Amino acid sequence: MKKGVLILLLGLAAAAVAYGCMYFGCTSCVRVLQHSDRPELAWLKDEFNLNDAEFKRVSELHAAYLPQCRGMCRKIDAQNAQLQKLLGSATNATPEMDAALVEAARLRSECQGMMLRHFFQVSQTMPPEQGRRYLAWVKEKAFLPDYGMNEKP
Amino acid sequence: MNTNDPANRDEALRKLLKVWRTDASLPPHFQESVWQRIERAQTPVSPSVWAAIAHWIGTSLPRPALAVSYVAVLLAIGMTAGWEQARQKTTDVRDELGQRYVRVLDPYLTPRE
Repeated sequence: MKKGVLILLLGLAAAAVAYGCMYFGCTSCVRVLQHSDRPELAWLKDEFNLNDAEFKRVSELHAAYLPQCRGMCRKIDAQNAQLQKLLGSATNATPEMDAALVEAARLRSECQGMMLRHFFQVSQTMPPEQGRRYLAWVKEKAFLPDYGMNEKP
Repeated sequence: MNTNDPANRDEALRKLLKVWRTDASLPPHFQESVWQRIERAQTPVSPSVWAAIAHWIGTSLPRPALAVSYVAVLLAIGMTAGWEQARQKTTDVRDELGQRYVRVLDPYLTPRE
């Protein structure tokens, strides 16, 4: 009986160790990505097989883009605040409200143009095949008709 | 008369039973219930599941061929489960990082401070 119990426990321990080794071994790559300084860029490098020179150029483009993005965030926030203020006290559509909506649409268009230019620049930094794959992926994520509908801000 | 002799003892008992009379009536279904008790007593008790498992662990599992097979099967199950979980986790993390990349670049999705 004692020997049987020992074998039973040995089997269970073997299963647990095998599970752990396989799980931690196979997820080590994504854990490294997650714990890097800039996980989204580390992911980009890994996903599109960028070499160090390509990654350096992409990182520079990324760093140059972020201030523009932050500037656009401020404009969008200010525009949204103005629109909310107009909507808060309104009982009818007013010319100011129309102008605010037009400005909001213009900002969205400007924002998408800015993003698109950045995506093209990044794709041109990559090897041609990876660049095409990157553009297809990023268009799907940021420019489909249901763009932004399922995202949590 | 030697009452220790089994033949004599049976004879004496037989005589005694012949003259024995009782006025007490039997309870209803007496005979039927006696037979039921006899049947119950003769029915073999089936061992519980735990007892069967314990018996199997004690007798069959220590056989070398079975022990090796058992450990190998559990090892395979552990590896397969670990691989499948890792695959799922990797897919989820990669999707999340991809979404994060887009969120960082899209002013309409960028988290506000």
